[in-house]
Amino acid sequence: MRAAEERKGVVPAARRRDQFPVGMRVLAVDDDPVCLKVLETLLLRCQYHVTTTNQAAIALKMLRENRDMFDLVISDVHMPDMDGFKLLELVGLEMDLPVIMLSVNGETKTVLKGITHGACDYLLKPVRIEELRNIWQHVIRRKFSTRDRANLDFYEECNKPPNADSDHVHGHVTCGSPDQSGRPSKKRKEYCSEEEDEGEVNTQDIDDPSAPKKPRKYRLYLKRLSAVASQQVSIVAALGGRDPFLHMGGFEGLQGYQAFTSSAALSSFTPHGLLNSPRNNPAALGTQGVPASKSIQTMSGSHTLSHSINDANKYHLSLPGNQKGNLGQGLATSLGQTQMQQKWIHEETDDLSTILSGNGLSNGMSGTLQSVTSSPLLPQELAECTQAKIVSQPSIRTSSVSSEHIEGAVGVSSGLLESRVSQQSTIPLSGFSANGLLIHGSFNNTCANKLGGTSSSCAPARSSNDLMVARDTKGGASSFGGAMLLPPDTEQKYLNFGGGNGLKQKFDDRTADSLFDLKFVWSSVPSSQLASNIGAHHAMSQRWNNSSSNSSNIGARMIGQATSSGSTVIPQMKTDFLVSGDMAMPKNASDLSIPKLQSELSSSSCSFDGLLNSIVKVEKDDVTFSDDLGCGDFYSLGACI
Amino acid sequence: MPTIGFAFEESIVSTPRLPIGRCTLLPLLDPSRMSLERIVSRVTSNQSRKLAVGKGYLDEQFCQVEDLQDEASPNFVEEVVTLFFKDSGRLMSNIEQALEKYPRDFNRWDTYMQQLKGSCSSIGASRMKNECMSFRDSCGQGNVEGCMRSFQKVKREHAVLRQKLESYFQLLRQAGPAGAATRPVM
Repeated sequence: MRAAEERKGVVPAARRRDQFPVGMRVLAVDDDPVCLKVLETLLLRCQYHVTTTNQAAIALKMLRENRDMFDLVISDVHMPDMDGFKLLELVGLEMDLPVIMLSVNGETKTVLKGITHGACDYLLKPVRIEELRNIWQHVIRRKFSTRDRANLDFYEECNKPPNADSDHVHGHVTCGSPDQSGRPSKKRKEYCSEEEDEGEVNTQDIDDPSAPKKPRKYRLYLKRLSAVASQQVSIVAALGGRDPFLHMGGFEGLQGYQAFTSSAALSSFTPHGLLNSPRNNPAALGTQGVPASKSIQTMSGSHTLSHSINDANKYHLSLPGNQKGNLGQGLATSLGQTQMQQKWIHEETDDLSTILSGNGLSNGMSGTLQSVTSSPLLPQELAECTQAKIVSQPSIRTSSVSSEHIEGAVGVSSGLLESRVSQQSTIPLSGFSANGLLIHGSFNNTCANKLGGTSSSCAPARSSNDLMVARDTKGGASSFGGAMLLPPDTEQKYLNFGGGNGLKQKFDDRTADSLFDLKFVWSSVPSSQLASNIGAHHAMSQRWNNSSSNSSNIGARMIGQATSSGSTVIPQMKTDFLVSGDMAMPKNASDLSIPKLQSELSSSSCSFDGLLNSIVKVEKDDVTFSDDLGCGDFYSLGACI
Repeated sequence: MPTIGFAFEESIVSTPRLPIGRCTLLPLLDPSRMSLERIVSRVTSNQSRKLAVGKGYLDEQFCQVEDLQDEASPNFVEEVVTLFFKDSGRLMSNIEQALEKYPRDFNRWDTYMQQLKGSCSSIGASRMKNECMSFRDSCGQGNVEGCMRSFQKVKREHAVLRQKLESYFQLLRQAGPAGAATRPVM
């Protein structure tokens, strides 16, 4: 059959992007020449730019050569050289493009398989032109879902109507560009880094109800995070003498995470713990404190981190004393900066007390936290929310958050940071999109560090490629997924983390979106950092694939990575989270939590929802995070991280 | 000059259309520009298609395929149909071989037939598609005899369709090139 051929669309390429959906670039793959020809003509009639090939291998090659070459892929299910589902997965994983499946077979189970593999639509042959006229929506949805997943969820959690607050948050969080034809990854990048005014544009889009893609999964993910966070909080409390997570006690998720936090070592699971095995013990935490500040500084000097930390502090407000530390811890752990954590904890404590006075804020933070957890990009949104809610923390925003979203995220952590470490200001919060996760969990110093890491990662204009790289590796994705901030997809990733191998499976099941999310979060990460992180992650991911034990190594690496760059923070957080199970409890706790987690993960069904449930053991309503979460979510997040 | 006609889409100017299902009405041609022979051919080709569609050989999908023909791709329908017969011939010989070489290998048979069914549905060959479906049903039931019978029907429908479409295109060619039809000027 003919090789890939391309026909120019009706609209000149130059103006293509401006007239989206006109000129949308579609790659059509089908071994049936008749169908392919008809499809091609139909797509041309819709004024799309069409490229066709009858071999999946060629399609992949084209996609890999240049990720930005296409906006959408339409693929047949039954192809001789490669299974359509496999292609679907690969495209989703590597390029995070929306993929539409085509088939003669309309059996429910086949359709279901397509959807679970990540197809954003499933069309039956013969394809009608009416159906094709709407496929551009998938491109938009994907962009928004990855970017706004956090936002949307965030908003939902915050119960914020598309009002000023939301807009504000969006502005910060999304900072996406209105260019719809841009790649989703780019959008994310912009999302993290764009200014509010740009974000405003997106705000409207975000408010579009059709945008969120996997709210349920995401919420489950968030739940899990909060559960973990709360566990961590409790651990921290135990360690630090405070009882920050008592609030979270109510959080059912804790139960689920008991395995994680069964021991002090486990506590390392807490935001810190996840990332830092050494942090397992509270004592370590103490020592970590000192370095934490340093690490924060090293984060990349992005002030945003401080923001996030401050915000985190704010969040801590909701949590008793230690909470703050927990947040930081969570953050830190994710970053793998045990030291930071400790420091934060110490510092946090002090600040926290002051902050605690503003309990009202904490409530607000809780809400924000919830929302944060709900969306991968929560941190940013949280920042928004927090900012909105936490009146007393104006400084949060002021931190030198480089990116809007960082502010969001920062809101949570920055609060912590600002109050604590002057250096923090240097810590780039930009990475916050990923940091957002941090915020969720625990902004404690660790968060700050993490935030820094993530914030840096979030730094505006992160090349989406970085993320993509991370995404390429499945494992990497999981590592990224570690970042709690990640959107629902991260859930999967998150779960995957725990299961190491299990994760791998999850990944398979996970839709491309999840990977996308990971990328998304990390998009903000500075490319340089990200690259390093990615490398780390990749390593990690690979590790995971191999075995859980490896994951511990990965976790360690992650942590190390975290220190190196903010961007790594996020992934580390994630991986740490999962890995921490292994790492944190070197041979001890890991056995406890990790195996359990892993077993949970592995044993659960392919659907990560199932995983979540098994892990979280909480069937709470996502939205209800707010109640006890506020802090809990945060901590759990932190714990996750 | 006065012309009898009515407004119609630009895209269908050159294509004879039959009032079949959703197919648009055949535009009247400017008699001064068309010879009687062409007019008759056009009507006949329309009738031919009408019959084909009316009898179920072709369905709405075929009309949609025809709709895709325009100035940019003036021979689109014929190209697709030619492609169809070429590819379906290949697929059918695959099936035939499989029926002999892999007895009772219903999965394999089904896979091949699924491909053929896809092609049929893309072009609108509804009767042939139905026979393909019954073949797949027989495969699902593990009914070798049923498969063999269905396959024979598929082959028959394939031959009939080829014949009808060939004559249809012949009439189309006789009806004249696209330029023969003009937009009515009121």
